[in-house]
Amino acid sequence: MRLLHWLPGRLLSAIIVLLGASILIFAAVRSLPGDFAQIVLGPLSNEEQREQLRQSFGFDRSLPEQYLLWLGNAARGDFGLSLASQQPVLDELASRLPVTALLAGMAMLVTIAIGIPLGVYAGTHASTGRGSAAARIVSTIGISFPEFVLGCLVVFLFSRFDLGLSVGAFTSPTTDFGRGVVSLLLPALVLSVFCVAATARTTRDAVIGVLVEPHIAASVARGEPKGFIIRHHVLRNALIPVLTLTATITAYLLGGAVIVERVFNVPGIGSYLVLALDRRDYTVIQAGVLLATAVFVIASLLIDVLTGLVDPRVSVAKKGRGA
Amino acid sequence: MTAVIRVEGRRRSVLRRAWDYLASFDGLAKTAMWTLAVLFTAALLGRLFGLGGSPTAIVGPRLAPPSLAYPAGTDSLGRSLLPRLLEGVMTTLLLSAVAVLLTAVIATLCGIIAGYRGGRTGGLIMRVGDILYAFPAIVLAILVAAVVGPGYIAALCSIVLVTVPLMTRMVGQATRLVAQRDFITSAVISGVSTPVIMTRHVLRNISGTIAVQGTYALSVAILVEGGLSFLGYGVQLPGSSLGLLVQEGTLYMVKAPWLILLPGLILVLAILAINLIGDSLRDRFEPREARSLE
Repeated sequence: MRLLHWLPGRLLSAIIVLLGASILIFAAVRSLPGDFAQIVLGPLSNEEQREQLRQSFGFDRSLPEQYLLWLGNAARGDFGLSLASQQPVLDELASRLPVTALLAGMAMLVTIAIGIPLGVYAGTHASTGRGSAAARIVSTIGISFPEFVLGCLVVFLFSRFDLGLSVGAFTSPTTDFGRGVVSLLLPALVLSVFCVAATARTTRDAVIGVLVEPHIAASVARGEPKGFIIRHHVLRNALIPVLTLTATITAYLLGGAVIVERVFNVPGIGSYLVLALDRRDYTVIQAGVLLATAVFVIASLLIDVLTGLVDPRVSVAKKGRGA
Repeated sequence: MTAVIRVEGRRRSVLRRAWDYLASFDGLAKTAMWTLAVLFTAALLGRLFGLGGSPTAIVGPRLAPPSLAYPAGTDSLGRSLLPRLLEGVMTTLLLSAVAVLLTAVIATLCGIIAGYRGGRTGGLIMRVGDILYAFPAIVLAILVAAVVGPGYIAALCSIVLVTVPLMTRMVGQATRLVAQRDFITSAVISGVSTPVIMTRHVLRNISGTIAVQGTYALSVAILVEGGLSFLGYGVQLPGSSLGLLVQEGTLYMVKAPWLILLPGLILVLAILAINLIGDSLRDRFEPREARSLE
């Protein structure tokens, strides 16, 4: 099993990245200029409150000790209390997680269902002129639309004209899943536009890359039907770079969700993070940023393993590089 | 006298060569360049000669639709939108360009060191890049804004931190490919010093990658600045940036749609133009064969 040769190294590098990110997040918040308690509690706080805050953050210990304490608690799911609401951060994150997960999941579904066929079409028609130019322009427009512009545009159109779907009326998927999906339809579509275009571009390039390989020419020479060649020879090889792109798309969906949730007033993790920034709620910011980073690291690890299972060349390359 | 003429002659030929080079791009890329040039010139005219009037003066009725007197309409305070748009274009383009210039310098330096020297320093650079790469763009920008506080500096730092990891990685990969080639080996054998190899031989051969990645980084930069300003943590009032104008526009979306449509449209046009130029540069420096199944 070749996978076993490089998996430990890949796991180690994922752990290093996560630890590095956590140090960065910790250091960033601790590097705030001035007295941390003063910044958090404001100028009207009294010395007793500030002392209490310093103690709850473990400020009487050394910095490395503070970091390990924070990390140890975070690893057990204890992110401390929100500075603004005094509720455990974990509970607040957990109550909002299903919304963001559903939003990102729906956007991912749309991305795969539209992006890949579009890319395959553009790639197989790359040298025939008009269709290829159209696909290129459409996908370039797609990656050029910031989701806050597109989101605002959709909100404008759907609030100005009666188009069947309402914006702003949000139903939680945990109370009514079906209506939750419907209320997240527009946000998910807006969120997916960039990813659809990016997937189409990558798929197109990958398909073109496979089409020039000699084994395709051999298949054509053998007289295999076109649909068969695309399904069996082109797609299987071209989907590997697309699979790799999925990791980047995951990160993009997490970041884009922050903006889209803000535009559509969706109470998910993203809008919680922006709210925390508005309130200078540093425990929530630390936890939210760490969570987003961890999701990306774990997702890209899973995708690397999946790619390794699908494509034997990857495991050889990974082993050779000593990753 | 002759010396002066010769200098002038040489300068003209450089300009001519630059013009010829720009003229060699395909139609789509040329249109994109013209779009950016027009946007930038309009913004520059606004800054230098007050084209469109003062961006802060209250000149007319509130929320007036576009007309001859106010070509882009007025906002909720009765300020003409056109000068604010021009100022926003200037801020967005300038801020993004400065940030990407910083990114290009950092990424080229780190990428060449990591790709050519490798070793422990190179490994460390790549690891730090991996760590920064693990943060989703806007999430990283939020962390930066939380520490630095809202404003130009937050936007600048966010853009640099978001764009550096990918560009470093790409420059590192390109460097590694160049470093394997024979002319580098012969330079090493001939006793050329490492800094000279890095600048004269490696840097020149990866300049295409730097141009392509720099262009894409510029479009990411505009996205990040727009996103951060939209959330209220980038450029602050009374300044103006395209993201900030879109955010302001959301408040009066139904009554005064031009307040959101115009800055949004310009933002999309600018990013689209930059991406098209990036595609064209990529086709030029990384040519690929295309074949269809027909």
